[in-house]
Parts: sequence; C-alpha cells; structure tokens
Amino acid sequence: MSQTTAMEPPARTRDGIVSASETGMVFPGPVVALEDASFHVKRGEFVSLIGPSGCGKSTLLRLVSGLIKPTAGRLNVFGTPVDGPRAEIGMMFQKPTLLDWKSVFDNVLLPITLAGTVTKADQTRAIDLIHLVGLKGFEFSYPRQLSGGMQQRVALARLLTSGAELLLLDEPFGALDEFTRERLNLELMRIQSDLDATILFVTHNIQEAVFLADRVFVMTPRPGRLAATIDVPLPRPRTIEMTKSPEYNDLVFNIRDTLGGFI
Amino acid sequence: MSEHATNIPSASAPRSIPVWAQHLIVFVVFISVWELAVRNEWVSRLILPSPFDVVFAWWDLAIVKALIWKHFFVTLTEVVVGFLLGAGFGLSIAILSAMNKTFRRLISPYMVALQVTPRIAVAPIIVAWLGFNMEPKIAIAAIICFFPIFINSLTGLMQVDDERLEMFESMRASRWQIFRHLQLPGAMPVIMAGFKTGISLALIGAIVGEFVSASVGIGVLIQRFSFQLLLPEAFACLIMLTGMGLLLYGTATFADRRVIFWKDDNLVTKSAHRLRAKHADLLKE
Repeated sequence: MSQTTAMEPPARTRDGIVSASETGMVFPGPVVALEDASFHVKRGEFVSLIGPSGCGKSTLLRLVSGLIKPTAGRLNVFGTPVDGPRAEIGMMFQKPTLLDWKSVFDNVLLPITLAGTVTKADQTRAIDLIHLVGLKGFEFSYPRQLSGGMQQRVALARLLTSGAELLLLDEPFGALDEFTRERLNLELMRIQSDLDATILFVTHNIQEAVFLADRVFVMTPRPGRLAATIDVPLPRPRTIEMTKSPEYNDLVFNIRDTLGGFI
Repeated sequence: MSEHATNIPSASAPRSIPVWAQHLIVFVVFISVWELAVRNEWVSRLILPSPFDVVFAWWDLAIVKALIWKHFFVTLTEVVVGFLLGAGFGLSIAILSAMNKTFRRLISPYMVALQVTPRIAVAPIIVAWLGFNMEPKIAIAAIICFFPIFINSLTGLMQVDDERLEMFESMRASRWQIFRHLQLPGAMPVIMAGFKTGISLALIGAIVGEFVSASVGIGVLIQRFSFQLLLPEAFACLIMLTGMGLLLYGTATFADRRVIFWKDDNLVTKSAHRLRAKHADLLKE
C-alpha cells in the first residue's frame, strides 16, 4: 500500500478532478459491489459509466459523491480523499426527487436554502437557471403541475444552482420517453460546455453513453469491475446526425462486444 | 368497447334526477317509513319515538327552553381541548421517536400496552383522580385520541423516500434541515389523516367521561332522558352530537385540505399565482 502511495501523482493535480486507484467497495453480506477500479477524470470531461445492473456503476457514483466510503484503495476528488459529501459535488437521480410542497423556484433554491441564506442574487440566478433548462413560464408552478420531463428539468436546474463543478448523474433521463430524453441530452451537453462542468453520467443505454461522452467507462458485473475505458473522438458540439456516422456506430458495436457475455 | 364503457354510468344513475334530489328522495322515504311505522304502532312509541316527536323535543330543548346549548358547549370544549392535548402529545412523542432510535425502542412496549388496553376502562380511574368537572373528560378524550395520532405521525415520519434522503445528504443537509424540509412536510398527509381519526375519537372519549360521572354535557342529558324514558329528548340530544361530530370532522377536513395544499389542483394553482405576484420583480428582464 505505502509503495503505491509513493508512486502516485502529487495531490491537487490540475487535471485530476477524480482519481481512483484500486478503489473497492464491499457491502456487508459480503457483497463485492466494486473491485479494483483505477481511473482519472479530467476537468471539463464528460464520462459515461455503462454496464448491466449490478456492475457497480451506481456504487462508483455514490463513492465519488461521498455518500459512502470505499472499503479498499484510494479515491481522491479535487485532489483530496473523499470524506463525505461536498459543496463542489452535485448529484441527480433517475427520479426527479422534487419536494411536492415547494414551487419550482423554491425547489431550485433548495441547495442554497440548506447552505445558508438566500440572497436576491441567488433568486435571480435561480430564475436564470429555470430559463436555461427551458422552463420559462413555469417558475412558480408546483411539481404536480409538471410532466415527468419537466420535473427532471427542475432537478437539473436545482443541480446547477448548487454551483457544483463535478456533476454526478445517475440515469437522470432513464424514466423518460425517447424524444424527451434525446432533447434533454442535447441540452445537458450545451449546459456542460457553457458552465465548463465535469460530468460522470451513469446509464445502461450504449447509444446514449457514446453520444454524450468524451470517454465511456465500460463496467461488468459480479464483481463490479471497470472492464475498459473507450475514447469517443467525435467532435463537439454533437448533433443527432452524428449517430448515423460509421465512427459512432463502430464505437457502439465495440462497447456491445466488450459487454458481450454480460448482457 | 368504448361505447359500452360510456354507457355504464348513465345506466346506474338516472340522468333526469339531479344528485341532490336523489338524496332528498331517499331521506324523505326513510323519514316517512319511520313516521308511519310509529304512527300505525308497528313499533311501540315507547321504544322508538317518531321523527316529529324528536323534532318537537329538539325544538323545545334548543329553542323554547334553550337549555341544550350550555351542555353542547361544555361537551364541545371537552372534545376540542382533549383533542389538542392528545394531538400535541401524540405528535411530540412521534417526533421524538422518529428522531431517536433508542427512545423509540424504549417507549414502544408502553405504546403497545396502551394500544391493547381498552382505554375506556381507564375512565373511572381518571374520574377518581380528577373529580367531576371538565378535567377528567378532557383527559379521557386526550387518552383515546392520542394513539391513532401518535401511530400515524410516526408512520408518516418514518417513511422517507430513500432517493430524496440521499439527495439531502449529498447537499450536506443537517438532521434538523432534513426534518424540517423533507420529513415533516412529507409526513403531513398521514399526520392529518391521524388528526381526522383522532377528532372523532375525542368525541367518544368526552361522552364516555360524561357517562361515568358528570352534571353537565350532552352525554349526561342523553343518560338522564333515557333513564326517564323520555326517548324523543334523548334522540334530540343524539342529533346534537351528530351535528357536533360533523362540525368537528368538517373542520378537520377543511384544515387537511389547506395544509396539504399541494395535493389539490385548485389550491396549487392559487399558490402558484400568489408566488408569481410576490416575485414579479424577478421576472422582469
């Protein structure tokens, strides 16, 4: 252990937003949810995590968020070991997890409300973010009045209010229909480039993983392992037309092959 | 298929008669059959007073002599104060139990014991302790309505959605913030349902207390009139209790709708309009 520590790059390296070396997670049981994961994520990078259920992708996301602590190896975020949730890290889930008793505006302001007092500037920013995710006119509606896709847009705006630089998204559009998902994916990429955020995006849809990411982490189950990392050299901004290109389709087939026996 | 589906409602409810009229017809038929049954002596007048006897008795008690109101308000006060006490204790102990595992573990045998003991049986003991005024009735009402309020509140507070909880944790929310912004509002629908059950039980508690020992209250009147075989008067008092029950339940239902406004389309729309007006300056470009 001490030998590997000595060989590691110095802490707070500019390019290592997330760096994991031999990170593992065993839940009581014991259930090996993640074994031996080593990787780096650079600033501004969009990384998709893909794999079948039980491959440890959600576990990996929760480890990075600080909600759970690794039982083996090292995991640094922004150069320091993860030790509980942080303000620079934001999370979004498959369900919108909105508070039904708060308006869109108050839901979006929730991270600020929890962190301290809400200023006029925060309120203005919240309205801007609501407009950014395409909910102009619904600023003071309640979740009950919104469709599933609109609710997930609110969740996205809430994620952005926190000012987090590292965004962890756990199948955020998985419960939505194909058209809504496609549109939200395009908006997510636009927002990411506007804000220069780093994104870890969990999905079980290969096409989506490739379409969004700079790199795809392919994971396999029992025990959860990082089987391969695949670069996606498609130019940005991405367009729907690119999904017809041979490069894109080669990547999709390549990943399907890697996952091969596990699906 | 769809044609059949649309035909079903019109087949079960005659289209020509409005709903309120249907209710009125059923009511009139019911009262007429009752009146006829008594008048033709199918049932003895001593056992069942006729509806008109009951109305005359009520008129005499409530309007001519106006003696029923004093009793009505005494009983109402017992119920309301008893309910507030029971609800206060029930909610507080539920909150403590939800927040603290040890407290919950230590208190649960007593809660189960309280649940399985017929609480009405405590009434004579309470009267022995607190005397013959309103206090024992208030205490009995509180004890009887305590349990459903406690158990509903605890159930509501314990059923927190895991993903929402994780979201709060990822935002580094304190325990108090999780309670204040997630647990308590999320539990409100179940807590309010407990209040609705509780208010009806508090009425039962107050009446039981009056039966055990009292000189004032609707329960006392019913007992007295029944002993004297003045059944029209007893029925008139019963109707007053039905009215009181409806009043209490209606108030609870009204409060429920207001508190859980986010489950009601109209109230949500109103609230959204209010917020929009309040923050109008933010929307100006």
